[in-house]
Amino acid sequence: MGRKPIFSSQTGRLLQVLLNDPSAWQHGYGLMKLTGLQSGTLYPILLRLCDQGFLEAKWRESETAGKPRRHVYRLTPNGLAFAREQIAPARRGTGALLGAKA
Amino acid sequence: MSEAPRRRFAKALMRHAARVMPRGEWGEAMRNELDAIADDHVALDWALGCVIAGYGERMNVMLQTWYARSGLACLMALLACREFFAPLLIFAYRTQNLGLAHFLGLRTAGDDYRRLIPVMDATPAWLPLLWVAAGLLFLMALGRMLLRKDGSVPLFFLAFALDLAGAVMARSIEASTGVIVTPNLMIRAAGEILMLSTGFVLWRMTRKMPPTTS
Repeated sequence: MGRKPIFSSQTGRLLQVLLNDPSAWQHGYGLMKLTGLQSGTLYPILLRLCDQGFLEAKWRESETAGKPRRHVYRLTPNGLAFAREQIAPARRGTGALLGAKA
Repeated sequence: MSEAPRRRFAKALMRHAARVMPRGEWGEAMRNELDAIADDHVALDWALGCVIAGYGERMNVMLQTWYARSGLACLMALLACREFFAPLLIFAYRTQNLGLAHFLGLRTAGDDYRRLIPVMDATPAWLPLLWVAAGLLFLMALGRMLLRKDGSVPLFFLAFALDLAGAVMARSIEASTGVIVTPNLMIRAAGEILMLSTGFVLWRMTRKMPPTTS
């Protein structure tokens, strides 16, 4: 059985946002707006979650002509289970605090 | 600053961040987001953050190389040797192994162990044991780091705490005897700074290790 990684409050905030709509693909800037995290904090977390298999990433062509393709992210089934397991108790305990950013 | 130069600066920063980022795909991912940000001020913030993320990731990759690991191992071994030095000198002096005491004394400020005799006489027996314990903890942290096992950081900082406690005690002995072991404050500070820096690098290095499976 794999050991559960320890995550920071910022990672928790990101997982919370991804958990709100797990089937949706989100791009980096959108996640920044939803989580309130700066890009310097957000990308290392995205990288780490992808490396751990909790997040999947793919390229999506821009809907606007002339704009470059964008990297989008969503939770994998493993990531979804992990986020539900880790975030749900916290949400019950401190719903108001965590829900503020959602 | 007008809007256009700010946007140009953000783009230049993003190009740099994408170059620095060791994984090209992620560099491109960050750079492409910039085009979706309409506000120039936010774009500049975004670009600055991406530069930080790029350098952070670059540092993480560098820390996983064998030469970074070897360098850190040498530093930790050096810190352990530093902890063993005073107990060895005190042991040599108290067992009348004066040849060894003279040899070690040449590596102290003043080049003579006899200058330190009042301090060594006043040192309680448990204090060298504290330093030895700190040295052993540094070696244990080193071993765990080399074997890529968890727990090296707590061991390292426990050793650091013991070293600090020993240093505080040593200062009071120095004050009571009037003998300053290391008169140069810069050298004293350098030792502590080296220890803290090593601890920080160790934390960064072990933080990136893949989770252990059992």
